[in-house]
Amino acid sequence: MQEKKAITVSEITKKFGTITAVDNVSFEVAEGEFFGFLGPNGAGKTTLIRMLTTLLKPTSGKAVVSCCDVAREPAAVRRAIGVVPQAMTSDLDLTGYENMDIYGRFYGIRSKERKERMRYLLDMVGLTARANDLVATYSGGMRRRLEIARVLVHKPKILFLDEPTIGLDPQSRRVVWGLLEKLMEDDSLTIFLTTHYMEEAEALCKRVAIIDAGKIIAIGSPDELKSQIPGNDIVSLSLAGFTESIVEKAESLPFVHRIVVEDDYIRAYVDSGAKNLPMLIDEVRSSGGTVLSATVHEQSLEDVFIHYTGKTIREEEAKKVSFLVGPGIPQKLGR
Amino acid sequence: MTRLFAVIERDLKKFKRNPVVLAMSILMPIIYLVILGNSFQGKLQALPVVFVDQDAGPSAKRFMENLRAVEAGPKTFSLLGSKDPKEAVEGVKKGIYKAAIIIPSDFSKRTFAKGRPEIGLFLDNTDGISSENIRNIVKSAVKATNTEYVAIRENPGEAIIRDIDLYSKVDYYQSLVPGVVIMAIFLGTLTTGAFNLVMDRFLGMDESYLLTPLSKSHIVGGLIISGLSITTLIAVFIFTVSMLITGIPLSRGLHQCASIFIIITLTTLCLLSLMFVILGRVGHPRIVGVLSGFLNVILFFPSGAVYPIASFPGWLKAFAKVNPEAYAVDALKAVLFKNAGLSVIAGDILFLFCFTALMMTLSILTFKRTL
Repeated sequence: MQEKKAITVSEITKKFGTITAVDNVSFEVAEGEFFGFLGPNGAGKTTLIRMLTTLLKPTSGKAVVSCCDVAREPAAVRRAIGVVPQAMTSDLDLTGYENMDIYGRFYGIRSKERKERMRYLLDMVGLTARANDLVATYSGGMRRRLEIARVLVHKPKILFLDEPTIGLDPQSRRVVWGLLEKLMEDDSLTIFLTTHYMEEAEALCKRVAIIDAGKIIAIGSPDELKSQIPGNDIVSLSLAGFTESIVEKAESLPFVHRIVVEDDYIRAYVDSGAKNLPMLIDEVRSSGGTVLSATVHEQSLEDVFIHYTGKTIREEEAKKVSFLVGPGIPQKLGR
Repeated sequence: MTRLFAVIERDLKKFKRNPVVLAMSILMPIIYLVILGNSFQGKLQALPVVFVDQDAGPSAKRFMENLRAVEAGPKTFSLLGSKDPKEAVEGVKKGIYKAAIIIPSDFSKRTFAKGRPEIGLFLDNTDGISSENIRNIVKSAVKATNTEYVAIRENPGEAIIRDIDLYSKVDYYQSLVPGVVIMAIFLGTLTTGAFNLVMDRFLGMDESYLLTPLSKSHIVGGLIISGLSITTLIAVFIFTVSMLITGIPLSRGLHQCASIFIIITLTTLCLLSLMFVILGRVGHPRIVGVLSGFLNVILFFPSGAVYPIASFPGWLKAFAKVNPEAYAVDALKAVLFKNAGLSVIAGDILFLFCFTALMMTLSILTFKRTL
């Protein structure tokens, strides 16, 4: 039987003047799937999520969310989805309970049903005891948990989360991850998450699309994506006395698949990195090089990003943030 | 309706928890009433005027006696003597005196000889109000000096004006009350309604409700209704306080109160809708700050609240014809000072109603449901 699709995006593009924020992107998300969009700030993730959630009109292309065209039936889409935007949007002057209650009423949910649902959700996010406190007194993590609970009041079919853990401390991030893992247990809920934290995408998403400069560069499960990279480990060697012959000799080793030369170190895609590291170091030494430091790590989505773009997410992020107003697309253009 | 009430409740709760905004909305118009009321209607007193009497004859003495009477009575100016005319005029130029009066040595002689006697009056005319007051007093004093020996005779053929005031006397302070109420409404509509939308947009909070099934009408209507509740309450409070301060009686009781309430409510609704049209797409509170001063000037001063519209030049009169505040002030003045009923102010009410309907429609049409 064919899998039912929660989201179908066909050749969608969004331009802001001369800037193309999302460039001819197509993908599908199955019902009940936890799907992630991974990419640096400014890659077009927020623009894409805003188009899928009816906040921005696509310049071209089509997106169908919960069987409704986002451009033609925005009201129906809004009824079917719950969205946690990147910015904190809960009202500071209201209590946690009031925030949820008013939000539930925006959806026209009857009082009895709303109260029952709120009680359940507040308990789920661990905020029952603080429900009657003003949100102004909440920590960033608590506020984010409240916002996740708030958008679940109307039992959405699809939950969109735009960088849900951005700006949170590691502990709060783990709590939000735990919450999202709990939500994954509900098979009927489709979750669409954008993030620039590769460990977040790797830990939570069943499938991930890697996006850079408005284009999808790879899509698949984290394991599938990593399997596209030769070898299973990455060895990074910081060198003194670098020569071309070092690279040539190292590449001739049977366990080495590929060598990428960076500014002052080499990145080797190898099999069984920890086991083969001494041999690789010996080879470098025999070629006249000096190893200053060495690290071995398992391949991650970051390496997939590097494999396809030749740069790290952090590098790309730093470059983009330097000329953007804030995270995501330029604020003025984005709105 | 649940959705609309939810928008209203959200807005009202947020306002209630920001007492500073509420306090400022109430205090500003009252301070305005007190400051404006006292800065325009006060009498000029103790203006420094220097005189040089080079004559010291009988006519000069009579003239000086008339001036001394003003100095002792209304105390408009205080007279200071000098012997050097040059020094007196220099004193005016330096700002020490508001005017210098020079009585030449042949003043009395020419008076008796009917040889066109003259008195020199050097005025600091950069202060228009003070210089005009001094000029008029000095003119009266000269006239009194000239006519002192003319026998007063009845003239049966001369027409007499018998002036009758149709309404109770309205002093300047009281005449400001309609303007103060309109000012309170303006400030209220500026800090509620569309402004809350601007703040939500500025803080990125608008996304939270733009992502829900709320329609344009729910969002615009809800914010306008919450703004209407807050601003009407503030305006009624300001009106009551202003009436107590200025002592205007509400002689027609409940009927008059109902008319005033209708005017206040309709004006509030009208300005809230207008603000939505103007500020509906603004994304930064600083723009509201800049616009507020401009809007206050273009709506309030041509409203007739401070000075009669009849005195405006043609282009400003034309603007006053489409200025809702002008109709609101006119209606309030009629109800407050002429005890007019609703039938008298029907034209004003009709304009405000039509203007509100137009702005409300425009505000919903122009409101952007996307980012």
